[in-house]
Amino acid sequence: MLMIERGHCGPARVGYVEWHGKKISLPTLLQLDEESDSPGGYSILDIWDGRSHDTSVHPLSEGIFTEIVTPPNTDLYLLPSLPGASALREETGHAILRRQLELLRENESDLNPKRAVVRIPNRVSLEDLSKALSSFKSLGVRAASLTLDGTFGPSDMNAIRLRRALPLNWTYLALGRIEPSHIPLLYYLGFDILDTGLSYRAAATDVRLWRDGIENVTEKHISPRYCTCDSCKGANLAEMPKSARYDIIAGHNHATYRAVLSEARHAMETGHLRALVEAMTHRSPALASALRRIDADLYEFLEAFTPTAGDQVLPLIGPESYNAPAVRRFRERLVDRYVPPPRKKLVLVLPCSARKPYSESRSHHLFDRAISSAVGGARREVSEAILTSPLGVIPRELERIFPIANYDIPVTGDWDAEELRLAAGALVEHLSKFPEDAVVVAHVSGGYRQVMSEAEDRIVQTLIYTDSAESATSRDALSSLESTLTDMRDVVPLKSGPQVAREETLRATADFQFGRGTGQLLIPEGANLRGKLFHLVVCELEGVQLCSFVGKNGLLSLTLEGGEILQKTGRYWVRFDGRRIRGGSLFAVGISDADPFIRPGDEVVVVNGDEEVVGVGKSEMSGREMCAFDNGRAISLRHTRE
Amino acid sequence: MVEAIEDLGRIVREANIRARKSSISRRKTRDPSRPAAKWVASAPIGKTTGTALSLVLSTHGCSHALSDAGGCTMCSYLLDGTSGEVSADNLLSQFDNGMEGLAGEPAPLSVKIYTSGSFLDESEVPLDARNSILDRLGGDERVREVVLESRPEYVTDSALESIAQRLQDRHTEIGMGLESSNDFVRRMCINKGFRTEDFTSAVNRALEHDIGTRAYVLVKPPFMTERAALEDAVQTISDAVDMKVTTVSVNPVNIQRYTLVEHLWRRGEYRPPWLWTLIEVLRRSRKNLPSSVRILCDPVAGGKSRGTHNCGECDLALVEAIRGYSLTQNIERLQVEECDCLPLWKHTLAHEGPSMFVHEDIARGLLGNA
Repeated sequence: MLMIERGHCGPARVGYVEWHGKKISLPTLLQLDEESDSPGGYSILDIWDGRSHDTSVHPLSEGIFTEIVTPPNTDLYLLPSLPGASALREETGHAILRRQLELLRENESDLNPKRAVVRIPNRVSLEDLSKALSSFKSLGVRAASLTLDGTFGPSDMNAIRLRRALPLNWTYLALGRIEPSHIPLLYYLGFDILDTGLSYRAAATDVRLWRDGIENVTEKHISPRYCTCDSCKGANLAEMPKSARYDIIAGHNHATYRAVLSEARHAMETGHLRALVEAMTHRSPALASALRRIDADLYEFLEAFTPTAGDQVLPLIGPESYNAPAVRRFRERLVDRYVPPPRKKLVLVLPCSARKPYSESRSHHLFDRAISSAVGGARREVSEAILTSPLGVIPRELERIFPIANYDIPVTGDWDAEELRLAAGALVEHLSKFPEDAVVVAHVSGGYRQVMSEAEDRIVQTLIYTDSAESATSRDALSSLESTLTDMRDVVPLKSGPQVAREETLRATADFQFGRGTGQLLIPEGANLRGKLFHLVVCELEGVQLCSFVGKNGLLSLTLEGGEILQKTGRYWVRFDGRRIRGGSLFAVGISDADPFIRPGDEVVVVNGDEEVVGVGKSEMSGREMCAFDNGRAISLRHTRE
Repeated sequence: MVEAIEDLGRIVREANIRARKSSISRRKTRDPSRPAAKWVASAPIGKTTGTALSLVLSTHGCSHALSDAGGCTMCSYLLDGTSGEVSADNLLSQFDNGMEGLAGEPAPLSVKIYTSGSFLDESEVPLDARNSILDRLGGDERVREVVLESRPEYVTDSALESIAQRLQDRHTEIGMGLESSNDFVRRMCINKGFRTEDFTSAVNRALEHDIGTRAYVLVKPPFMTERAALEDAVQTISDAVDMKVTTVSVNPVNIQRYTLVEHLWRRGEYRPPWLWTLIEVLRRSRKNLPSSVRILCDPVAGGKSRGTHNCGECDLALVEAIRGYSLTQNIERLQVEECDCLPLWKHTLAHEGPSMFVHEDIARGLLGNA
């Protein structure tokens, strides 16, 4: 049984699994038993000391068409598959799964299904796969493996696409030709145990595997890389006999796997796994194109396990970030969930700033001063929209929300075609939500100006550029901004009135967090707001606190009363098995059902069987996981009903 | 519901037939009076050395390959046959044409007659032609050894009787493709179309007529790991000897055109056996078997990408060693120098089974960006 612990970045998990009474910490590696004369197998590799565990993983046979030999004392056994099956028709995959099922059923007394590993064929229809999986599940099987050839060609991509259809609470092995640089991606995709067999294959050809590439140690005229690992110890590999070299290189290669796995796990626990995966795409074009296809084909799968909150810096370096789940989700949610506040007559388009949040940057301070001095109390009728790549367009109200307050991009002023397309598309969508008779003022230069030109034909409102083509923050540009806005104040015209930035921010946040319309429910007309914007703003209705806005993460946290309001929307609910919750956490075992749209980091409301709100808190896993797992912390509770 | 394993068998058979495509209907029409191939070489005959003629008759081809069963997964010898009609007279002319190669050669002679099918299949070689050929061989005193080839179902009492009668005291062997002694492997991986007991009965019938048999053993049928293939070949050789065959001929798979094996190979899902595997099979078999049984091996396309091969560096030496062993039966001839590719082969043996990852050739990419 897989036990998962806290932490999320895509489908990757940390946790442990128990087989045969042995506890294996996940993620981990498999070491090939290279020396044995009997048919080969693996043992679990201890990533700390490099020794192989006494936990063994053996195949039941060398293939479906060869004899089954029950391996003695194996902790896990791999069910038979057919070498070469990928070259046959898709129906082969189904037959292979059925054969494995038959074997388990026929040998009930010898083969304990809890220790069986289903071999998932690379080609099988999703329908056949899910049918077979539910049969395996009912027998008690809890682990499966996929075989990859490491090229990320059609066969590997087929296999990877199947990952989304596999049960959440099983343990997954990736076998075959896996390079160290593949580890972050495979771990990110939810593979827990990875094959290091390539260590030996590479050693057999004098190849040292490194985190970022390979090295043939016997290559002439090229100096060997210096290595600090225990196995190499500065040895002069090129000069020694091949047989001595072989063991050292194999040891080095295993050490590389251990180091990269540990790096990936650390990245996962600190919320940087996706960034590591993206960084690794520079290892090879194959890896880069694999990630692009995975982002396109498996977006729903990846997104479902991608946190909606976090305080880590999110580096978005290049094209591999444009469709990262957190980025694409932000763009899509903005379209779906953001509704401009009423009475906006002017939309001011501004460039982003390197410093986050924007309003704390020097450039936005300068903009702020110009805007205030131009429109003063009429600012309530101005909406600010910040252009940025690759997130698109950010309304000022949402500047503190994840990942807007966290992302970091290389700023050169040059935008590539994809960035222009994404930002222009987002801007057009955004502006289409404003009245046609509003005025759009663009105070942008360089690439931002290019985005405007790309979008121009699709903007229905009157579009006015300030004189800022050179730089948006120069003295001339700022005075142009001020004079343009001063003119607009009379032309539009813009009227003064009480400031509304706090309720607008809270409502926009509520809509973004919980879905369109929730802002009006959680921050209704007549609500009393206390506190300074972007610090802590508390929202009360008739003396009862409903929610508060926390500037640090840009999110609303709910009170039980706020939770009751959210409950009525039918979203972000979790059904608790008992009547009252005790303690600071709710574990998955106590959850009978949950909204499948819940993501890790979401604010959720816990209801009991009587539809009574018994708690509110922050989710630690996805709604689907809360249902699938019988263990693991599901919710960190903020308030519970006494 | 059909058992999954039967379903897999059907899938393999269908894939096998698809792999042949229209190759059969597009076969060449050959001159029916000339053999498909013939070659003459010196060879050990009995205790001395003599001259051996190998003659491949051009027939319409193997009945199993022509049938709806679709033939064997690794074989397209059928394509060596002709699509035209071949009469009994034609076959006799082919035989005579071949025998010209032995004109003037002194005794002892050996004649091996292949047909890319079965010499004893009357639908392939008409009875008249068969008997006339056997008569001519029986009438040539120089010929001391005759090897014929057939599937076991054609090795009948009447055929054996007529062979024994016509070839008299000559050392005669009938070569039959046992391929694997594992019924399952022979049926599922090879689609051979007969059972082990059919083979055993044929061997026993031949024994009753004092005719020897030669078992062809296949090394690395498709859908097997390198290790499973190695074990299967060793077991098969041992079983063939137990069945009392006179000679074992060990045949590593080579990639023939329009076969299922070629289909798999093109997709990186099959690699011909390593020469190390072949050497290991021969070594282990020789150790455990009586010396009276000859174990022959002439690896077709040895060292080439479509044949049994290693890394390219050591291939020639290994093929030479195997040929030398085959001629002399001296196991010491199999002692070869270790090559750098040996650990790669050992890794393949260890890793393919647990990972189910088909280890291709290193030339086809050990590391994506190497």
